[in-house]
Amino acid sequence: MPQSFEFKQSGHLNPALTDPSARTPNAAGLLGRWRNTNRETRGIAEIVIEQTGDKFIVGVNGVGADGLIAWPKTEAKALANLEEEAGQRTFALAATFDFGFMRAETHLRVNKGVLVIVEFNTFLDDSGRSDYVNREFFSRAAVERTSPS
Amino acid sequence: MRFAQLCDRVETGGAAAGTLDLAALPGTWVNSNPSTNGIARMLVSEAGGRLALRVYAIGPDALMDWGEAELHLFTSSPSSRVAAGFTCLYDFGFAETRLQGMIMKGLLVLSQFHRFKDESRRADYFVREYFALTHGRF
Repeated sequence: MPQSFEFKQSGHLNPALTDPSARTPNAAGLLGRWRNTNRETRGIAEIVIEQTGDKFIVGVNGVGADGLIAWPKTEAKALANLEEEAGQRTFALAATFDFGFMRAETHLRVNKGVLVIVEFNTFLDDSGRSDYVNREFFSRAAVERTSPS
Repeated sequence: MRFAQLCDRVETGGAAAGTLDLAALPGTWVNSNPSTNGIARMLVSEAGGRLALRVYAIGPDALMDWGEAELHLFTSSPSSRVAAGFTCLYDFGFAETRLQGMIMKGLLVLSQFHRFKDESRRADYFVREYFALTHGRF
């Protein structure tokens, strides 16, 4: 990597960052429907990650009082993850959900086949609630197959 | 009270619920990986009930001082008043780095989001590293 690049840590000069594969998200490992491993969660029940062209869309269903609460579908930013998963270059997704009364800054990544979401939630109302961080784990939902007739 | 998930719906003492307990964060946090080429150590300091972060990152010849950034603090639940995490942003001009830290079992797990704004065509990237507080107790 050219030493003329500006940097604020040696990691900014990692040759992997100019490898074309790092700039071409192949996030197949993230795509699909994921269900919370904790069936008693009071947080996120499921996550659906879709790719359209080079865009990633994240859909979230939160646990509500009477059913699931669909969060607004949000475009995510893909970032090369320099930690490898099973010898493969992986990607993390960063997505911010804006509810008006609350903002959820999240990032998602797969670690050993488990999808991990970390939420940094900021309340924008005057409810007196504390901004809080939460982390939840998801397993890939089984593909539903129809029986051959 | 509006909520996006049940855990957001909690009883509070209203807008003046009291100040946060900041005790878990101040001090010097050292990267658990001696071979890192990212952040070597972080200094969290308190002044007037607010916390600031100073980052020292690995450079080719010496540590690089990123200067101070004010922390946005987070607890572990909407009803907690104990600080357990933070976010902050460093804007270097050619790039910006957003940091998200959370304490787990005494360890600070730091997620770093590096976005390049120059013409270098470097990929934006994500790194997660672990930091331990130097406490001199053991």
